[in-house]
Order: sequence, then C-alpha cells, then structure tokens
Amino acid sequence: MAQLRYIDALKLALTEEMDRDDSVFIVGEEVGQYQGTLGLTGGFLQKYGPERVVDTPISEVGIIGMAIGSAMAGLRPVAEMMRMDFSLPAYDQIAQHAAKIRYMFGGQFKVPMVVRGPSGVGNQLSAQHSQSLETLFAHIPGLKVAVPATPADAKGLLKTAIRDDNPVMFLESLRMYMEKPERLEAIQPGLSEVPDDPEWMVPFGQAQVLREGTDVTLISYSTMSIACLRAANQLAEQNISAEVVDLRTLLPLDMETPLRSLKKTHRAVVVQEQWGLYGCAAEISAQLAERGFYDLDAPVQRVTGAFVPMPYSKPLEDLAYPNADDIVAAAKRTLFAQ
Amino acid sequence: MAKASAAAAAAPPALDVQKYRRFHEQMVHIREFEETCHRAFQRGGHGINGYVHVYSGEEAIAVGIIGALREDDYFLGHYRDHAYALARGTDPGAVMAEICGKATGTSKGKGGSMHICDAERGFYGGYGIVGGNVPIALGLGKAIRYRGGDQICVCFFGDGSMNQGAFHETLNMCQLYKLPVLWVVENNKYAMGTSIERSHANPDLTDRINSYAMKRECIDGQDVVKLHTRVSEIVKEMRETHEPFFLECDTYRYHGHGAADGPVTQKTYRTREEVEFWRQRDPILILERVLMEQKALSEEERDRIHQEARNAAEAALRFSDESPNPTPDELLKDVYA
Repeated sequence: MAQLRYIDALKLALTEEMDRDDSVFIVGEEVGQYQGTLGLTGGFLQKYGPERVVDTPISEVGIIGMAIGSAMAGLRPVAEMMRMDFSLPAYDQIAQHAAKIRYMFGGQFKVPMVVRGPSGVGNQLSAQHSQSLETLFAHIPGLKVAVPATPADAKGLLKTAIRDDNPVMFLESLRMYMEKPERLEAIQPGLSEVPDDPEWMVPFGQAQVLREGTDVTLISYSTMSIACLRAANQLAEQNISAEVVDLRTLLPLDMETPLRSLKKTHRAVVVQEQWGLYGCAAEISAQLAERGFYDLDAPVQRVTGAFVPMPYSKPLEDLAYPNADDIVAAAKRTLFAQ
Repeated sequence: MAKASAAAAAAPPALDVQKYRRFHEQMVHIREFEETCHRAFQRGGHGINGYVHVYSGEEAIAVGIIGALREDDYFLGHYRDHAYALARGTDPGAVMAEICGKATGTSKGKGGSMHICDAERGFYGGYGIVGGNVPIALGLGKAIRYRGGDQICVCFFGDGSMNQGAFHETLNMCQLYKLPVLWVVENNKYAMGTSIERSHANPDLTDRINSYAMKRECIDGQDVVKLHTRVSEIVKEMRETHEPFFLECDTYRYHGHGAADGPVTQKTYRTREEVEFWRQRDPILILERVLMEQKALSEEERDRIHQEARNAAEAALRFSDESPNPTPDELLKDVYA
C-alpha cells in the first residue's frame, strides 16, 4: 500500500498496462515530447517510443478517429484529451461512431478504447475549460463512463477501462490531480492509499461506501465525493452521521449500493459538480424515487452547480459549483434540522 | 525507329481477360442488385423504409479498387455501401436482408442499408455520417503500421465529405504519420443536391489535397480497366512505401442521392441531359465494348450475364422476404461487447 497523488496513480496505471500489453498505446496533444501538459506522461516517449506515445496536432476528431479505427483492428488505444472539454469537437466520433459501431454492425466489431483526461472545475479556468461533461456521455448507449474520486480508483478504474472491450469515457478530477496524500489523509485516513499489486483493479458498476453512517446518505462521484466526505466530517461535528456512497462509474450505474444505504438512512442527497438540469444527479434521484420511495423519510435533495457557463472571477466561480457547506445544508434539509 | 518504339510503349499491355470478365460479372451483378433494391423500395412491402442509397453508375470504382486488394487489407466506406460488400464477395442475400431489416442480414437487421459490413472479409463498414468514416480509416492505417505489416486500408467517401472538418484533420495526420491509407473520393458531382461548384471554393478536388503534401491523382472512374490498372500500381507502391495516396475518381450516380430523392427533387439540381450524358459513359458499357473488341465477350454471353444477375438479385430479395425479422430479445443485444 502506497500513499499516492491522484495523478501519480493514473500514471502508474498507464505504465503498468503499457508494460503488460503491447497493444496499448497513447495518442494525444503534448503527450510525448512535452511530457504531458500536467506531467502525467513524463518519460513515456523515451520509454515506449513514438509509435506508442503519439504526439498529435490539435485535432481531436483525428485523435478519436485514430483510436476508434485502431481499436476495431485490435489495438487498445488510450486517447488523451488535454481537457475533457476538448472532446466536444470529436463528439460525433465518440457518440455517433465509437458508441454505435458494435450495435449497428450487429456485434461484428469491438471498440476497446479509452478517452481520458482531466475534467471539471479547476482554478479560474473559466467557461470553456471547467466543464464536467459526464452527462453528455452517460446519455449515450454503447459508451461506458468512469468518474474516479480517489487515487486508488484512479488507478484501479483506469486499468479496468484499458482492459474493457468497449469505448470508455474516463473523466478524471482535475482538482484531485495534485492533492497531496497528507491532505487527503486529513479528510479521511486511508483516502490516498493505493494497493501495489499490478493485478489489483476496480470493476465497473460497483459503487463503494467511502464512509459509513446512519442518518443520511450522500451520493456522488469524482471530486464531489471528496466534497461529500468533507461534508460528512462537518455533519459529524453536529452529531449527524452521514454515509458517503461514491458511484465510481456512471455507465454502468450501480444503484443497488445507494438503495441499500437508503434502506438504512432513509434520507438521500445527490451531488453533482455541474448543471443539475437533466443531469446525472437527476437520473439518480429519479431512480431513488422509483425504487426507494417507501424507504424515504424525506424528499431526495439535489446539490448541483449553478446553471451558468463557468465565470472567471474567483468569488463568482466559488458560487458556481457546490462545496461541503452546500452539501451539509442539503443533508440537514432531509433531516428537517436547522 | 523512334516512332515505332514510342508506339510500342504506348500499346496497352495484354488484357487479363479472365479478370475483366470477372469484373464485368461483378459490376453487372451490383447494377442489378441496386436496381432491384431501388424498385423494391418504390414498390414497398419488403421492409425497406429507411434511407437507401444505390450505387448505379459508380460500379467500376468498388470493383476495380476492391479487386486490387489482398485478403488481409482493410476497407471501409460511407452509406452508399452495398457495392463494397458485393464486390468483396459477401453473400448478396445477407446484404439484401440487411437492407430489409431481417435477422439474416449482415448486421442482423440492426444496421440497415447504410451499415453493411463484413469483418471477416476486411470490410469495416458503411457509415451514415458524411466524413465520419474518414478519421476511422486513419486508425486502421495506424494499426497496420503499429504491427509492421504491408497491408493497406482503403477509405471510400464522397465529394461532400471533403467539406467536413474531420476530413482535413485526418488527411493532415495521415500524411504527417505516413500511414498506408488509400483515400478514394467518389466524385459523383453532388453532395445530395448541392453541386461541387456550389460547395467547393476550389472545385478541383485533387488540387485541394496540395496542402497536405500527399501523393494524389485524378482518374476516370468509369473505365474499370484504366482504373484497376492504375490502382494496382498505386497499391503495389503503397505496400513498399507504406505511404498514403489520394485518388479522385470522376464518376456519376444515376439515381437520386437516396431513394427518396426522386425525379421531382432531382430537377432542382440537375438536368435529364446531364444524366443522359453520363449514361453514355456507363462503366458496364465501356467494359463490354473493351471485352467485345477483344473477342472476350459475345452478345449472347453478355445477355446471359445480365439475365443471371437479375435472377441473382431477385433471389437475394426472395431470400430476404422469406427471412425472419429479428426477435425481440435482439433489441438489447450487441450494445456492449
């Protein structure tokens, strides 16, 4: 067990999978000679060579297309989007091609590829570089969507994604990238720990209980699961015991774990970093209502980002996405507490 | 003396009669298949309700180019895709059944006319988004290079694709990495109802490729002998250099863009005279003339081949008609591997 930063856990997963399987290669902008914009692929070009670490022009459509075609031919490409926002020019390749090829060709092809990159709010990156676009991917049959919150899941889910035979959208938490292990340990002991075993992986479609509790269930994924842990710490100080369920993947979606938790706590808060309207939190809330209605003692609460393009100004940006205080307030609403 | 040797150099090499008789049969079979398909759509009742785009007039391209490939090569195309499968030897019954949405179709009835494929024979599918197949071909080229073989990938697309951003990103990258993809634009003069002149600032499509420093050439897409001979040379060279090549095939489609683009809508963008002009340049007629001049095909044989092709197309339609629909349990299968 090592204590790692999220970015180092991602790098470890890529290294292990590239060492293990010659058919895995990386393609993206500044992944090679530049050593990765955030240093994630540092040393990769030197170690694996230009055929397996492909520097590209700023051509996301071409990058995703290269991934799709090579995956159909049996390789396992990992396409890096410098930011997941930049996948939008290639949305046609992702949603219209990668996602549909297996079905529309009657199962004749597999498309084992990963599209990965940092996602979500950064530090004043403003409107076009701050989005969490998981809703746009989780809406499309044929894709899988992974949203790891912890360093361990960053590694374990990325390895699963690379070995999966389907197109996987792998949305990494930009804000978690550089979090120091000691800061994570302060939120919850063990939060930065990553198993050493190179065969240790995290299966898709299995949510985890990050913290056990009895009064209210906080359900989220990615960065917001960590915000939920902070909120649970604050709630504990007020003698409210919150359980935190981290979904890990949105497609496939494990609703059994949150529903089991709801049977215990009878109250639920669903948290999503960005826009709530028609979003993933809305879907999860709907399923809680459909399947957990008789376990609920209070209406499900959603905590989501403001319905605006991300503003630049720090005070405005801080208002635009949920923080632990917002989650605490929502948890207390389910308890009819002040 | 000099004159004589020049004449000798210009003399065409002896025609591989067996090959071109085979190509002739294939082209006629594709034509009759497409015409049967078109009539079946108009007649109704065969299960063809979605988009159907037929290839009549362009047969020399699919046959001449796919006929130059090896078994382990890849190729993929756009939504006017029946001919690619037929030229490669996919069972016409399975292709027709797919067009009609039957369980026995190439995609088990889940893809339809625009999404024919045959993974076993290297046909990586027909795609419904203009230009959408182009970046995928880049990936197939990448896989070839990655493994170090001398296969090639052929990507067929239409003139309309060349106005998609995807096309330009891809061609730039293909030349940059020198991936072995033969890019084949079937220039049939219209992107749906919009002519080349109304949609390309530079209507010389081959000239547009200058900016990618890629080897390029424009060729008569109606003369299968010329086309196949040249493509065979290009393919041979590509197997050695592993470099891409852009080939513009000058061609024409006789029917509308899709089966729903009938005589009324076609009047908005082209004349009967224009269609008639191109019908005089029919790829099957041109090849028949060559074969007959070489005494490699008689009128009787020609008529028999046309009749056999009609029968085969009708048999494909009958096979489809008699095939079951997909069962309800198929609905949710094949979304994920």
